[in-house]
Amino acid sequence: MRRSSAMATCAVLGALLATPAFASQDEARAWLERMTEALATRNYEGLFTHTTGRQSETMRIVHRVGRNGSTERLVSLDGSGREIVRTPSEVHVYLPDRRVVLVEPRTDSGSLAQALPAPGPRLEALYELGIRDGQRLLGRDVRVLDVRPKDGYRYGYRLWLDEESGMPLRSVVLNGHGRPVELIHFTQLELPRRIDARETEASVDATGYQWIRSSRRASGAVDVPAGWRPMRTPPGFRVVASRMQVMPGVPVPVQHLVLSDGFASVSVFIEPGSASQPSPPESASLGSASAFSTRVHGHVVTAVGEVPLETVRAIATSVAPAGPEPAPAEISR
Amino acid sequence: MTEQIREQISAWLDGELREDETGLLVRRLERDPALRGALGRFVLAGEVLRAPGGQLASPGFAARVSAAIGAGPGNELPVALREKPAGRWSRPLLGAAVAAASAVVAVLVLRPDAGERNLAAQTATAVQPVALAAPLGQRSSPTPARNQRLAGYLVAHSQYASPLSRRSVWTGVLAADPGITRVAYDLAEAP
Repeated sequence: MRRSSAMATCAVLGALLATPAFASQDEARAWLERMTEALATRNYEGLFTHTTGRQSETMRIVHRVGRNGSTERLVSLDGSGREIVRTPSEVHVYLPDRRVVLVEPRTDSGSLAQALPAPGPRLEALYELGIRDGQRLLGRDVRVLDVRPKDGYRYGYRLWLDEESGMPLRSVVLNGHGRPVELIHFTQLELPRRIDARETEASVDATGYQWIRSSRRASGAVDVPAGWRPMRTPPGFRVVASRMQVMPGVPVPVQHLVLSDGFASVSVFIEPGSASQPSPPESASLGSASAFSTRVHGHVVTAVGEVPLETVRAIATSVAPAGPEPAPAEISR
Repeated sequence: MTEQIREQISAWLDGELREDETGLLVRRLERDPALRGALGRFVLAGEVLRAPGGQLASPGFAARVSAAIGAGPGNELPVALREKPAGRWSRPLLGAAVAAASAVVAVLVLRPDAGERNLAAQTATAVQPVALAAPLGQRSSPTPARNQRLAGYLVAHSQYASPLSRRSVWTGVLAADPGITRVAYDLAEAP
């Protein structure tokens, strides 16, 4: 009796102690979901600064939701005139300094819905979430959402969210030491009920520009690197999409694999190599995005994603032609 | 940076600058790269100083950032901010890249002099099961095709990223500059 009473007391105490933590996690996850939904479904336009390392730029963004889907336009205000326009069918990257437009077909919504990162319960195995009050920004009440990774394979985030709309007014990407990798800070943000479609049209007159297109269709006359996959993945990363596509400037179709942990994502591109290609693996960092390229079995494998360099390297070097194993093994933490 | 500009930027960041003054400030930012750099330092400094519990900052960091705000445009950020290498593409290189459609080689463009610093930082945070191998700093000349390849990969990847990450990736593509950092690994070919 005494024993069962003590157990009951422990259970009650445990529940009392645990409830606030779970509530906080649940509340934080709800804010993360709300932010993701707001970014995808709200009309908004604003100015923000983007800071990494020693560089800072000012950008203008317009996001419009229409009957046929969303359209988005991002413009660099640094004088280069560069901009990106995402229509319901294509993504256009305008580079007026080179008189070039890169064109990427937009992924169909069916496969994209399955592949897009979606915060869910399993996120908490990989990240610790927290939510608290913050100082007002842009005259709006703010909640601060912390997304702290539990290992070194992903970045952390601190997000200042508008309490009314869920829109992020400021975001900081943090490395494993808790130091900022990238900062995006809105200096102006409006959430109008309606945005004129002309606001999302490119301001660049691309007459006479070179249009370089990618394509989803693979020609049957080339050597297609079919059936590759990662043999070992960092904890929590799963393959969520695989497709063949023709990339600008690449003469053969490329296999594109997408891995996600539910929040961060990594793309792996596998293209047949040639004897003239150099073999040293190389890597680069671009804001919070990392890229790593290496050669595997005569193919060039490149992994890119908004994760630490180590993560793209671990994934790229584990890719190989698909064998009998049904699923990749996870790298231990 | 004059006191007036500093006050304007501060008001802008707090969303309290008048609309007409905002327009003037944005146009000035477009014309003046040094001012953009100062703005970046200003924003990051404010960010770090506001961070609860000092989680973003190392000891003495705030003082160094404060010093950087007052520094001239040619000066670099404090060490702590440089530990993550400035990772961006070369704008001229990216442009040239796009112009050249001929394909060659693997990826990335890179500034070898920053490679060792980058690797040192990465090594410090290296994930245990996957050890890095030396030596580093292999040199190679960036080619237009490499830059074009990376731009294409990032835009293709952005479609599968969350809206937050997509904006980040796009911004990186638009803001490509000479800061990209290269690290070359001496690894055996994967099995």
